[in-house]
Amino acid sequence: MSTKKTMTLNLTEAEMNALEELCVEKDMSKTALLRQALRLYQLVNARLRGGEKLFFEDEIAKEKKELVVL
Amino acid sequence: MNSSHRIPLLNNVTGEFVEAILHERIDSAYALRVDDIWLTYLAAAEARANAEGRPFARLEHAHWSWLAKVAGSSRLLSCPTLAIECEGEPQGLMLLKTDGHFANLPNEAGRPLVYVTYLASAPWNLRGVVDRPRFSGIGTLLMRAAVQVSIEAEFKGRVGLHALPQAESFYECHGFACLGKDPDKENLKYYELTPEAADAFINRRKP
Repeated sequence: MSTKKTMTLNLTEAEMNALEELCVEKDMSKTALLRQALRLYQLVNARLRGGEKLFFEDEIAKEKKELVVL
Repeated sequence: MNSSHRIPLLNNVTGEFVEAILHERIDSAYALRVDDIWLTYLAAAEARANAEGRPFARLEHAHWSWLAKVAGSSRLLSCPTLAIECEGEPQGLMLLKTDGHFANLPNEAGRPLVYVTYLASAPWNLRGVVDRPRFSGIGTLLMRAAVQVSIEAEFKGRVGLHALPQAESFYECHGFACLGKDPDKENLKYYELTPEAADAFINRRKP
């Protein structure tokens, strides 16, 4: 598959802790998790740019909250 | 077009392997070319069959517009669009999704998988359309690529898909487990490949 390029990533301790926790929860390496996050961010961004909105829905409380993405 | 790899493909006419190219990303122009070539070929094959008084089995996916499918996912990392090209013609296409799909099999439930949105071989490679397909193994090579995408995403080879009835036996032969008909997907049968089955599939002897 595609040739990979290597980069150095500078994270704070809190960010690294969060990354490591997610890696354990998702059973993924840091690289795989960040690649997955990039794929998701690109998808969400494309759909928001297309005029769609992103919501979290609480079915019990019957609440919908829009997620605003950078 | 993004990166491409050389892969061997069996030419049924000569009985020899030839070099094909696996494209990891195709664009709308490529998809438009596929629609043009494949639909023209199908129309000619049907006209020939009609003229000769032979029955012509309609493909379940003959109406697919690859342009529409690829245009909706172009450049999205979470929607890989792969193609196999040989002798200057598209031999097979596949669209995948790497986000938003999770396994349903008991031991894998909730774990992410690569979902095969669409997969098709060129009509001249299909036994239902021609007596002697020009190339063999297009579907298997594309499925191998899907498993590879899953492994690279660290989904451990998990793959899921809804199969058209004409393709069910293909997936069953390749180790996919059937989870029954899905009423939310036109009652198509839903299949999944476990990490173990993916491992067995990917380690089968390559041509």
